[in-house]
Amino acid sequence: MRIFRRSVLGATLVAFVVLATACASGGDNNTKGAAGSSSGTKPSLTVGVSAAFPENQIVAEMYAQVLENAGYKVTTQEDIQSREVSDPALDSGKIDIKPEYLASELLFLDPNAKASGDPQNNADLLKPLLAQKGLDLLTPSAAQDQNAFVTTSDLASKDNLSTVSDLASVASGLTLGGPPECPKRPYCAIGLKKTYGVTFGDFKALSSGTLVAQALQSGDIDVGLLFSTDPTISADNFVLLQDDKGLQSAENITPVVRHDVDTSEVADLLNGVSATLTTDNITGLIAKVALQHQDPAAVAKLFLQDNGLL
Amino acid sequence: MTVAQGSFQQPLILWSWIGDNRAEILHRVIEHVELTAIAVFLGLLISFPLAIYAYRHRRAYGPIAVITGILYTIPSLALFAFLVAYTGLTVTTAEIGLVSYTLLILIRNIVAGLDAVPAEARESATGMGYSRRQLLWRIEIPLALPVIIAGIRIATVTTIGLVTVTAIIGKGGLGHFILEGLLQAFPTAAILGAVLSIVLAVVVDALLLFSERALTPWARARSRA
Amino acid sequence: MGVLAKAFDFMTSAANYHGQGGIPTRLWEHVQMSLLSLGIATIIALPVGLLVGHRRRGGFFAITVGNLGRALPSFGILAIVFPLTLRYLHVGSLGFVATLITLILLAIPPIMLNTFVGTREVDRDTIEAARGMGLSGTQILMRVELPLAAPLIVAGLRTAATAVVATATLGALVSWGGLGRFIVDGLAQGDKGQLVAGAVLVASLAVVTEAMFALLQRAISPRTTGSPRRHIRKLIRRPGWGM
Repeated sequence: MRIFRRSVLGATLVAFVVLATACASGGDNNTKGAAGSSSGTKPSLTVGVSAAFPENQIVAEMYAQVLENAGYKVTTQEDIQSREVSDPALDSGKIDIKPEYLASELLFLDPNAKASGDPQNNADLLKPLLAQKGLDLLTPSAAQDQNAFVTTSDLASKDNLSTVSDLASVASGLTLGGPPECPKRPYCAIGLKKTYGVTFGDFKALSSGTLVAQALQSGDIDVGLLFSTDPTISADNFVLLQDDKGLQSAENITPVVRHDVDTSEVADLLNGVSATLTTDNITGLIAKVALQHQDPAAVAKLFLQDNGLL
Repeated sequence: MTVAQGSFQQPLILWSWIGDNRAEILHRVIEHVELTAIAVFLGLLISFPLAIYAYRHRRAYGPIAVITGILYTIPSLALFAFLVAYTGLTVTTAEIGLVSYTLLILIRNIVAGLDAVPAEARESATGMGYSRRQLLWRIEIPLALPVIIAGIRIATVTTIGLVTVTAIIGKGGLGHFILEGLLQAFPTAAILGAVLSIVLAVVVDALLLFSERALTPWARARSRA
Repeated sequence: MGVLAKAFDFMTSAANYHGQGGIPTRLWEHVQMSLLSLGIATIIALPVGLLVGHRRRGGFFAITVGNLGRALPSFGILAIVFPLTLRYLHVGSLGFVATLITLILLAIPPIMLNTFVGTREVDRDTIEAARGMGLSGTQILMRVELPLAAPLIVAGLRTAATAVVATATLGALVSWGGLGRFIVDGLAQGDKGQLVAGAVLVASLAVVTEAMFALLQRAISPRTTGSPRRHIRKLIRRPGWGM
């Protein structure tokens, strides 16, 4: 009897080990599953995406889905970190593709670069910098997403705020809310100080646009950093302070791909997606995810189908 | 001040969302169970030999308890964040952290369980000519099983809670929904993640209790006598 | 440059010791939050545990709270409570109340469970003797049960305190401060020095807290070998109760 009990214990443990190792081998990424075709000749690709921004998720999903549809095995690597992490990941090959924003990426690689409101200018400056690291910059889309400083309509009327310059005199008594990397970003705190002479009294780190909007609503912050495509700006009646001194530059959404995997087929597929994106339609897609809580993958799929890409 | 305009006007639980996302929910439950199972199993794999060594060589118990105690005391967010700098955003990082938290509880309970084996049982076994190894595997460990499994239960429930924190480094199991709920100001996701996590803990705890009863029928028989 | 070297740099650069983002400020925030939540949890859990243990009724409730409490995911509680505090309990700095509530809920179960068990397990004979001497119920509770249960109660406080110090780091996810701020910001900014420095700081604080309570536990543990006391000492060593 005792021997039987022990062998039951032993067998359970063995089964456990087998189960655990079998599961562990598939543990690391969100595997999307190949679209049925043999992935023998085509490489596996990893698309990097930030979980904190629906826009990022939607565009990354589009990239992933068109590639999958063409027979590639695609996985998405999701986290809440920022460029300081995803860039090295791209460099080292942990991810192969990610959606980027022209001016922000340019200034990240070269803080002294002369970014401007002209997408072509920014792309021309960015291309060689990326090439040095073995990365290719594909064709920018028409969709732009810039940093936008917003405030509530109450505060805007109280302090007479309609442009970012208007903040200069009152900022020391106000609280800014934005992503944790804001204090180190040239288009956020650093740029506000340099270009506008604006220094806020306090800063609250908020890890997503929705949290920024929520904090604006509750009065915990006075001015928030949102992205210009954020649907809450109009949904919550915020006032977008005009960038009158032109701090923000052209931030077109563009795929960045590792040179090793950048075949003409991959480039064509991704450029095909970029060609369909505009600031307006991407804002609409984001609204579906952020306000209606639809799944980014589903929203991306519908859009691609409507545009004949799937 | 009236909050909840525009984007925040929503019911506490959006049942349609739960229905629409059944596949993802299942995927995350499985991820959660996997992460927990691997952690507890690896924890046992490491703890067992260490505990038996400490049981036999008392002087080793002190240092082992201190080291595993320190590992247990390190806050989980801190440990995961620290490991990310070395092993990146991987399952490995999550597991190193999760396993570390199981060691103290498991080692402590294994040693305590072995300690609690009555002297008479040991004496009669040695009297019958059992070798040290036979004594350990046929007498001591089976008799220590209730306390050992009690430790496994605590370690497992603790791990299930900690897995949610790994959402910060891209894993998370059900913690993924909690993080999503927080970032998107979407209560349904957060509540779903938290509730399912609790249910999972309760169910797994009950299963382990049941298996303890199944594996140690003599414990109940004796208490009835 | 090694990660640990970067962390050392962060901790030794003077700039990080000024202002509200500095190390001393964050450390103090963290300690304050831990003390406050532990204090409130004790005010709630201790009397309940004592009463239930003394009356020996309602034990099932206390044990269930203790066990269920361990299964509560603090991160989940925080994510749910945070937006509610913005709407209904809008006081203090952003994220403060949400973190406080989460930590209080975390601390109550071990304190209540240990207090209940410690009080309940006081040797029946000792209580009978006290009753024979003419002591009232309340006097028995305060003069006999409480002192004898003290080691186990402190063990519960120790578990709660360490858990609170550790979990307060999560407050940074809802924009509160504390030492978790360095971890979350470091993670978001890819600043490994800040991240590891924050991790080391909060781990050290947790270890110090654990050590302090361990000393306290040892200090109030009975040293004599009288019958009721030996009984209590055996209980302290039982695994799974208060660490």
